[in-house]
Amino acid sequence: MERNPLRRQLQMMRKSFFDQGYLDDQFVQLEELQDEANPNFVEEVVTLYYRDSSRLILSIEQALERKPFDFNKLDAYMHQFKGSSSSIGAKKVKAESTLFREYCKSGNKEGCMRCFQQLKKEYATLRKKLEAYFQLARQAGPMETACRPK
Amino acid sequence: MAPAADEAKSGNGGQIQRPFTFNEIVLRNRLTALVVDGDNFCRLLQQGILQAYGLQTQTVDNGDAAVELIASGAKFDLILIDMLLPILDGLEATRRIRAMGVNCKMLGVTAFSGERERQAFLAAGVDLFVEKPLGPEVLIPILRELDGQYPSI
Repeated sequence: MERNPLRRQLQMMRKSFFDQGYLDDQFVQLEELQDEANPNFVEEVVTLYYRDSSRLILSIEQALERKPFDFNKLDAYMHQFKGSSSSIGAKKVKAESTLFREYCKSGNKEGCMRCFQQLKKEYATLRKKLEAYFQLARQAGPMETACRPK
Repeated sequence: MAPAADEAKSGNGGQIQRPFTFNEIVLRNRLTALVVDGDNFCRLLQQGILQAYGLQTQTVDNGDAAVELIASGAKFDLILIDMLLPILDGLEATRRIRAMGVNCKMLGVTAFSGERERQAFLAAGVDLFVEKPLGPEVLIPILRELDGQYPSI
């Protein structure tokens, strides 16, 4: 049982991400790559994900405004977005990406637009949660430091 | 051995006990890898993962560059290649690489998940079709196999 209150809060926050379905096992696997040589690996990966994928989000937004709808182009963008999102374990975002692609395949314009709004919500929610998590992790410090005797 | 259900308890930077963790494997040989992915994030992430295992890893962002690199004589123990690539797609790039007589392990790592895509990629010449993300349960046995191909010192 973690005695450091910040660490405990961090653990609970992290557990909630999995319990509430925001993240899946892939995120854990990224954490396991983090070590003394790469102490901020996960945060760097997540930062890179949001930086890169924001361009895709913009491309999809622009494509949704064009007439007529190019479902193939939308599907291609979302295919790429789904790949990145699954690589950080963004479970809800990945699920919405899959649904969006289903709507593209069936040529359902309204479905695409509705789904994209939900996807953006999940994407933004996860970002806020992870930003708060990494900020708390920095405050809590590394495990070894927290346990080091005075 | 199948990975256990999620039993991660510790927070960021803590020790996590589970089979097939990224850090469990230690390679005896210096293996080389090529990552072919048009998506900047996925390419860098896969490179980072392979490098964390100790593989010397190069990357290219399109199929044509992959074919050119191999045609120039570059040799790799492992190639990770995406299906959807700019300039030359992953299917054709794989066919051309195999046609050059390259027999190394090739993994088709893609966001596609359909059976049709799987069959197409396997027919093109990849050894394994992997839906993104590439996890240790797939990667570790392959790295062990590749490492074992080299004689023990």
